[in-house]
Amino acid sequence: MHLKRSLPAALKYQAVRVEEAARRAGLDGYEVEFELLPPDALNAVAAYGGFPVRYPSWRFGMEYERLEKGHRWGLSRIYELVVNNDPAYAYLVSSNSLLEQKLVMAHVFGHADFFKHNLWFAPTDRKMLDTLASDATKVRRAIDRVGQERVETFVDRVLSVETLIDPYLPLREWRAGAAAGAGTAGTSELPTYDVLGFLLERAPLEAFEREVLGCLRREAYYFAPQRMTKIANEGWASYWHSRLLTGGLLEAEEIVDFADCHSSATACAPGRLNPYKLGLECWRSAERRGLDLFALRRAHNDVTLLDTLIDEEFLERELASCGGARLLPEQEGPPDYAAAKAKLLQELSWGGLPQIGLVAVDEAGERELQLVHRHDGRDLQLAQARETLKALAALWGGPVHLLTIENGQGRRLVASADEVRTLETREALQRCA
Amino acid sequence: MLRIDADRARFREIVRGRIRTDLKRYLSTGELIGRSGNHSVSIPLPQIELPRFVFGSNDEGSGAGQGESGESGDAKARASASGQAGEDPGLHILEVEVEFDDLAQMLGEALALPKIEPRGHKTMETESGRYSGLRVHGPESLRHFRRSFKNALKRTLASGQWDPARPCVWPEREDLRFRDKKSVRKPDSSAVVVHMMDVSGSMGREQKEIVRIQAFWIDTWLRSQYRNLEVVYVVHDAVAKVVDQHTFFHLRESGGTKISSAYELCLRLIREQYRPEDWNIYPFHYSDGDNWSARDTESCVSLLRDELLPRVNQFCYGQVKSAHGSGQFKKDLDAALPSADKLVTAAVGEKSEIPESIKAFLGRGR
Repeated sequence: MHLKRSLPAALKYQAVRVEEAARRAGLDGYEVEFELLPPDALNAVAAYGGFPVRYPSWRFGMEYERLEKGHRWGLSRIYELVVNNDPAYAYLVSSNSLLEQKLVMAHVFGHADFFKHNLWFAPTDRKMLDTLASDATKVRRAIDRVGQERVETFVDRVLSVETLIDPYLPLREWRAGAAAGAGTAGTSELPTYDVLGFLLERAPLEAFEREVLGCLRREAYYFAPQRMTKIANEGWASYWHSRLLTGGLLEAEEIVDFADCHSSATACAPGRLNPYKLGLECWRSAERRGLDLFALRRAHNDVTLLDTLIDEEFLERELASCGGARLLPEQEGPPDYAAAKAKLLQELSWGGLPQIGLVAVDEAGERELQLVHRHDGRDLQLAQARETLKALAALWGGPVHLLTIENGQGRRLVASADEVRTLETREALQRCA
Repeated sequence: MLRIDADRARFREIVRGRIRTDLKRYLSTGELIGRSGNHSVSIPLPQIELPRFVFGSNDEGSGAGQGESGESGDAKARASASGQAGEDPGLHILEVEVEFDDLAQMLGEALALPKIEPRGHKTMETESGRYSGLRVHGPESLRHFRRSFKNALKRTLASGQWDPARPCVWPEREDLRFRDKKSVRKPDSSAVVVHMMDVSGSMGREQKEIVRIQAFWIDTWLRSQYRNLEVVYVVHDAVAKVVDQHTFFHLRESGGTKISSAYELCLRLIREQYRPEDWNIYPFHYSDGDNWSARDTESCVSLLRDELLPRVNQFCYGQVKSAHGSGQFKKDLDAALPSADKLVTAAVGEKSEIPESIKAFLGRGR
């Protein structure tokens, strides 16, 4: 991919205007580098998560095919793509109208500000573009040494378990005074949620495997805050694009198109929560209450932000319009908004993922790993969990146990690299709770 | 060009590998038939996504084999994790588009099918072609402006009429050039498949399914060998008629069986529409092996020997085993025409034997 294609003058002019307006309004993000790309090149960059250089993997090819198909049939369209980096990189699609470009720019300045000032992003690597490029080189070198098949198999296994990290770890380390880009050293302390870190320290890996695992773990920690702040971040960007554009950046004849564009981004498919819309309404309600928006955006992730800002009145007004009607318990009488809020927060907690921790290693016996799923009322999908455990057992080079609960019954899954047995156990009922 | 192309190629390679592994299963089930479009088949590949720890219900039980990562389970798992909507992309199972050519190639590799050798050395002049040539006469709509102007300019300069102060060029009749179609000689590449099926009472659903699967794969293979493939469907009990594809697979007649009626119709089709000089002809006949009378079988044999076999590339008879069928017809054919190398007969007892009969039909490279 060739970056640094310069923007045409008309867009550059708009970028300067929008940036000026953003600064005046109090946004203070990283410098933003805009890249103008044709749609197919944008799909390629989007398949790589916004980074022009990633390690080779068929998954990016698969993602590209999906995006490309969506684009070809007109089903999906990527408006904005921005990378948390200093300077922030953002992509503009050449097929968008000038109004859409302006909207995207304003949106991007919102994100850039959020990346810079939100606490959860504080420990992330701000030179990630370079880091990923150099990681890609490491993976390529490993492929040259041991062959594509082996590296690919290893990468796929790690990606299966890449959610087994502790999303709060980087912030803890950062507070304790470690350098930015924390989470580079692994851990061998138990119990831990940082299973990847534990593997990095203790699993019997070959040199190339350890190197690749290090790269993938770094990525997992880099991307984790984006999962935890999706609603706050998208809401923040949407709040600002709407405020900046309607605050003087729009020409009169663009107003209707803007409204159309904005409302299609904040429209909801039934049954699916729209983070843009929900976030936007949160920030607007904070504004109405006279709260300090900039202080809020500094401190909060999705769970804490929603916990602070939404109340029954908010839910009554916005829940259905944000696509969250399914959160309400089905019952007679007045709707139970407290329950809906609790359910919403639960779904967002731990980045929306099952919370699975490593509690013990049986050093004396077969070196088996003991994992526990902290069950909050939602079951694991066991067919997938079994396959995932196999991948983990292959990485660890020994058996892996997982305690979980299925339909109120205690379960112990015992996995080796090739097979998984499922046992019933009462023990799980206490330990998973 | 782009870095993504390498990853994309790798992905396609993996997909092809998966399909190849599953090909035996696809060959003996009708799974792909409902998923085919004009040029490609869309194949669902649930097992290609990496497994992860996700929330989801386990209601449908673990099931055996494929069922474990079955569709409904997956879809539900994703749906309930939609708290972080907008980010999670695929709500559905990955479906990959595979071109018929690719599929045929995999089939060819799996069954070790030879390429079909050309019958004779015909080439056909076709009128189709691209406008890549030039000529001096033609309609205004095809005028080639650049070449015409260039000629006019050259003439103007050469004849000394060029005036830099007043740079005008007037084209004359002989300056004009027009685009011209270049006709191309293309090898003859038309083939017709005639699927004939016995729809008498004894051919049940199971038997039709087998026919359907065979027909699908045979068409797929032949389509990869010929540029232009036409398929004709014929059903018969005591009389034969041409039907459309849907009828072919769903019709259930009852009554007697007169196989010669189908062969006669096939012969008529060949005489009237698909002359052997222009077409490669592949008749396939499927039945359960019961014919009305020995007399009729005799006339079938003479029809085949004297009329059909000399005109076709290959005649295939597939006998599907049914509860009531005697399977006599295959025996009669084999006995009456032991040395006819254009005749292939095969018996299919159950679905798992389909690949073998496909190989028998297509394995000779005719």
